[in-house]
Amino acid sequence: MTRYVMVADLRRCVGCQTCTAACKEGNNTPPGVQWRRVLDLESGTYPEVRRVFLPTGCQHCDHPPCLEVCPSTATRQRADGIVTIDEDLCIGCGYCLMACPYEARALTAAPAFAFGATPTAAEAARRPVGIGVASKCDFCVGRIDAGRARGLTPGRDPEATPLCVNSCISGALRFGDLDDPHGPVAALLAEHQWFRLHEDQRTGPGFYYLWDAAPP
Amino acid sequence: MTPRTRQRHWDWRAAGNFTAGGAGSGLIVTSALAAQAGAAFRLPLLTGALLIAGGLSLVWLEIGRPWRALNVFFHPATSWMTREGLLALLVLPLALAGAATGAPGLALAAGLAAAGFLFCQAQILRAARGIPAWRQPELVPAILAAGLAEGSGLYLLAAPAGRVWLLLALAAGLVRAGAWWRYQQALAGAPGAGASRAAFGGLSGRLAWAAQAFSLGLLALALASAPAALGAAGGVLAALAGAGLKTLLITRAGFTRAVVLPAFPVRGGGGHAHLGR
Amino acid sequence: MTVTSTIPSYCYNCVAGPDLMRVRVEDGVAVRIEPDLSAAAIHPGLGRVCVKAFGLIQKTDNPHRVLTPMRRTNPRKGRDQDPGFVPISWDEALDTIAARLTDIRARGLLDEAGLPRLAATFGHGGTPQSYMGTFPAFLAAWGPIDYSFGSGQGVKCVHSEHLYGEFWHRGFTVTADTVHTRYLISCGNNAEVSGGVCAVRRGADARARGMKRIQIEPHLSPTAAAAAEWVPIKPKTDAAFLLALVHALLFEAPRARLDVPFLLARTASPYLVGPDGLYLRDPDTGAPLLWDETAARAVAHDTAAARPALEGSFTVPAAITRGPDGEITSWHDVPARTAFTVMADTLHPCTPDWAGAICDIPPATIRRIAADYLDHACVGETITIDGQSLPFRPVAVTLGKTVNNGWGAYECCWARTMLAVLVGALEVPGGTLGTTVRLNKPHENRLASVTPGEDGFMAAHFNATDRQDWAARPTGRNAHRSLVPIVGNSPWAQALGPTHLAWMFAEDPPAEWPDPPPPELWFAFRTNPAISFWDTARITRAMARMKFIVAFAYTMDETNHMADILLPDATDLESTQLIRIGGTKYVEQHWDHQGFALRAAAVAPRGQARDFTWIATELARRAGLLERYNAALNRGAAGAPLAGDGFDFSLPLDRAHDPDSIWNAVCQAATAGLGVPPRDLAWFREHGHCVVPFPRQDWYLTPTMARLGLRYELPYQERLLRVGQELGRRLHEHGIRWWDRQLGEYMPIPQWHDVPARWEAALSAAGADPADYPLWGITTKLMPYTTGNNAGIPLMAEVGANLRGTGAVIVNAATAARLGIVNGDWVEVRSVIGATVGRAAVVQGCRPDTIVIPGQFDHWKTPVAKDLHHASLNTITPISLDLTDATGSGADVVRVSLRRASAPAGQEAA
Repeated sequence: MTRYVMVADLRRCVGCQTCTAACKEGNNTPPGVQWRRVLDLESGTYPEVRRVFLPTGCQHCDHPPCLEVCPSTATRQRADGIVTIDEDLCIGCGYCLMACPYEARALTAAPAFAFGATPTAAEAARRPVGIGVASKCDFCVGRIDAGRARGLTPGRDPEATPLCVNSCISGALRFGDLDDPHGPVAALLAEHQWFRLHEDQRTGPGFYYLWDAAPP
Repeated sequence: MTPRTRQRHWDWRAAGNFTAGGAGSGLIVTSALAAQAGAAFRLPLLTGALLIAGGLSLVWLEIGRPWRALNVFFHPATSWMTREGLLALLVLPLALAGAATGAPGLALAAGLAAAGFLFCQAQILRAARGIPAWRQPELVPAILAAGLAEGSGLYLLAAPAGRVWLLLALAAGLVRAGAWWRYQQALAGAPGAGASRAAFGGLSGRLAWAAQAFSLGLLALALASAPAALGAAGGVLAALAGAGLKTLLITRAGFTRAVVLPAFPVRGGGGHAHLGR
Repeated sequence: MTVTSTIPSYCYNCVAGPDLMRVRVEDGVAVRIEPDLSAAAIHPGLGRVCVKAFGLIQKTDNPHRVLTPMRRTNPRKGRDQDPGFVPISWDEALDTIAARLTDIRARGLLDEAGLPRLAATFGHGGTPQSYMGTFPAFLAAWGPIDYSFGSGQGVKCVHSEHLYGEFWHRGFTVTADTVHTRYLISCGNNAEVSGGVCAVRRGADARARGMKRIQIEPHLSPTAAAAAEWVPIKPKTDAAFLLALVHALLFEAPRARLDVPFLLARTASPYLVGPDGLYLRDPDTGAPLLWDETAARAVAHDTAAARPALEGSFTVPAAITRGPDGEITSWHDVPARTAFTVMADTLHPCTPDWAGAICDIPPATIRRIAADYLDHACVGETITIDGQSLPFRPVAVTLGKTVNNGWGAYECCWARTMLAVLVGALEVPGGTLGTTVRLNKPHENRLASVTPGEDGFMAAHFNATDRQDWAARPTGRNAHRSLVPIVGNSPWAQALGPTHLAWMFAEDPPAEWPDPPPPELWFAFRTNPAISFWDTARITRAMARMKFIVAFAYTMDETNHMADILLPDATDLESTQLIRIGGTKYVEQHWDHQGFALRAAAVAPRGQARDFTWIATELARRAGLLERYNAALNRGAAGAPLAGDGFDFSLPLDRAHDPDSIWNAVCQAATAGLGVPPRDLAWFREHGHCVVPFPRQDWYLTPTMARLGLRYELPYQERLLRVGQELGRRLHEHGIRWWDRQLGEYMPIPQWHDVPARWEAALSAAGADPADYPLWGITTKLMPYTTGNNAGIPLMAEVGANLRGTGAVIVNAATAARLGIVNGDWVEVRSVIGATVGRAAVVQGCRPDTIVIPGQFDHWKTPVAKDLHHASLNTITPISLDLTDATGSGADVVRVSLRRASAPAGQEAA
């Protein structure tokens, strides 16, 4: 089996927003829509304060609440764990936005562009996404499929790897097949302590956060 | 740890569906009972159907791709929204036919379908895992009781002097007040639900509660043989109070789930030394 | 069918670059930036570019771009004036400029005050040079140019580190050897935000392997977030903290834990200091003396058999000292202390308990940090690099911008360097390293810049302070040769002199010098001092008095609002240039390779924008400078000499060459110079970069120092003491007393003075009551905006907003509560010169007495940026001689008040 997951090493992330920018540009998302986001979190009271940067986005859950509520079957789950949205089926009801515990989905009512009403050349050159329909991170599924068709390994070969991972400057974001015992993801999870978000929701997120080396 | 943000995608139109759909289905349920009891039911049945249709029309105005609205029926296996739509397909013709023919059996069937529709609405919110305030189990009875209280209240416009219907409206109103009180208490106990609870504690929330209380008073007065118009007024006020509560619930109390980190990243380790070593 | 290509390019929009990237082009449209992962094996940041690079697509497509040359029609200049720009042809624009240039040449390159008639200002950290094509050849062909109108140099850079770092260890910028460091003390060094891709990657790798960084700064920056520990410190007291660390190593640890052999051999620690504070010297040779413990007598420092005493007091039978202006004093039976002992005696009072009260840090924390530092220093250990055994000292100290300029910065730089010196961690693996040189040559090889100088030290190139050669009249409008000896007079020196003095003197010239006429023609490129400097209203007024401004304009902005001619140069993705990459560069670019990278034009220039190389060539041709320009190109002004050992790609001097021909020659010559087969422009367009190995041992200077038998000029600063005295005499001889405060900084061993009190005194001097401005206002950088010139790019605004405090005023939660401010409220921050308004970002991670305004904003002209309504510390920071240190730098610190404010017009309230 194949189960694609994202791994974020929180020790590495510095909140630079490069992944967010690379995702926005690569996927041509409208202003305000960020499939890959990095949260800037603080906890504690001065002077005992911690600040943490948390890359987030669609968690490609084992049991996606979005898929359960979607009335149109636009949201689907592939055998490799990737949760997709069929833009041609989605009615834009926004129910999946309410169902996602990770605030990973967006819905933009009308076309919008970086500089206002008129698209730039780069914006006009590509199809706008998520206008009137739900949108979210799809792990750059097009790159994965095209790469695999060429015999490449997602997470190892850049051409088959999500843009955010390729762009990440600190090496925090990693991607790969959880079920590949020799892949980078399996090794990372074995060698580190990790958590997933909102485990209480029993969604089975495909997004792992490393926070320390595994105890010896 | 993250600030909770108020959901911005479901606005007054979505709230309108929960308000009109809830009241409409409650009205149809009440009409179904009335039909069995030989009381007036054709106009209320029709009104209930129109309310449900109106609510759905508001949603139709809200969705991003209204011309694909029929896709809503594609996922009955798990989606309560699909199920709500399918039940609407059932309840509307049944209610219209019941109203047109005056057949109590059709009215009963419409009432059963309407109850299902109302149940779907409650479950729609219950399945919204991104919004903890809607996820609260105590919301399901609150939504059901609200629909019944609003519908039975509106029914009083058709039968303002009927004591049994006054009694039903009063009882449903009391149950609703209890259910919503229980729901808001549950919110108070839920970690991080402060913002949602505060939405009910504001001026609008207090007004809605005051309207509830006032409507209950009017209904009680009407029951104690005061003029019939008081009953109708109490019923309408009960419906308005419900509209207020649901509008608050959807548009003001819908806060997202905060991220809570189970662990902090360990950024560089090592113990401490002493200069003298 | 879509035609897709990926064009090689680089991003050098900030000094932490350059980084390599590819531009994805579909049907002639640049659609996205990609990292150049083909460079992952050679680039320390694994071929990545940071968030800023992803804004270059929108930069290219920006509908607000200036796309034709423009001429000003309104002769009046000022913020309130409409310039009345009208489009003109390139011919008209270039001929107009050329006519002015020709006229200037006819009348002389210097004006009646002896100042260059032509001035030029380029923005951030020398990075515009990587986008101005062959314009450096035009500048070289011209002759003297005044570069002293800074865009922020001296107040926005790590100024004291530039000057002292390069003086002490050829470290124009200084960094940790992050790939080996295990313990790092960072005083406000914001490496995770402004250190670039290489610093971020190296830092992340280091954390993952357990490197511990202690971040000492007033607010919890992303770098503090990613550190093992954040230690809040009162602004501008870092010198006390660092001096206390030095004290702790000197007095609270056994001497044997320090690197005594290093101190004796590689530093001036054993040099003997006489009662007048000068080195005792051999009466015959003038060589500084040290105490030979074997012979129990003073001997010349270079006596091979001597066993020098590190510390102690001695009596020397006969010696001389050499004072200012060559004055010799003869001494007999003179008491002497070693430089090390003088240092220890001077710093004896600087205990952690003393510093704790000044810095608001628990003394136990200071002691713990000193202990951890020493414990991690691995004194005595070695590591093998490139087959050579080198000392291994995995501890380092880095400094941030506001620590590193203005008053107190000299003390910080010295203490930081001494922390390295005491454990032998200067310029060795794991330790504190310089990265590049800019005041010495050659720029591309800092090891080769080391030559033997006086007294056993490497050569230093100070501006003369002797009576004969001191520049009694300024040669540039900031008077760098007259006021700042340590900055020297290299091509970079002017822009590193006190650049705010040029702006100050434009309004308020010193009475003792001829009034400086404004330059007759000012070139401005990738610079916006009206936003990036301080007291921006004053800068704007000074700019409006410039006679003729030629601005290379991307969009309209606050600076080119004053221009007479706007020239639209082709931007990053539209033009071609080859630059040097690799080796060791700026912030943290430590490569195992070196070579060249091409920025190939990915798309055609929009409108009438033209490649900068074409513009430079046309200006040279029309101004009659073509031969000199071509000669400058042949000498290497485009990045590499066009002829060398076994190759000659020189350009004929007598004609104008098109950009592709020029870069084709440069590409081939540059690669031939690397010792590989020449690669032409077409090769680079396909492959992007060409590198050869760079030995890792060349990251470290100490082996070179050892090979040449040289000592670092530390701890004692005899040279600075003498130079300061000479400078004082020269200035006083000319009646100049307004630099006396600065003369006080020439201390042979830096001592703490109440640095923060200078800001309070400045308030009183301005007639204000310090109690009215109870908070410290400081700034910090934001990665999406680090360089400042992308404030008009919407993508940066969107992703920047994910970081707390972007465009806002960061304030501690308790302080905010006391002032009735909640998160998101509009607030006004007021200083003695004005106010700035932004939203409050209420946080726990900030000292209660400090507010932070990140970035540089308050735009009123730049499209998109002017609608952001972001606050800016620059608007309210005065330019003040009182707050200028001896190197001519000032710090981003200002005393402020804070209160709730109403929302700006058109903006939502909280």
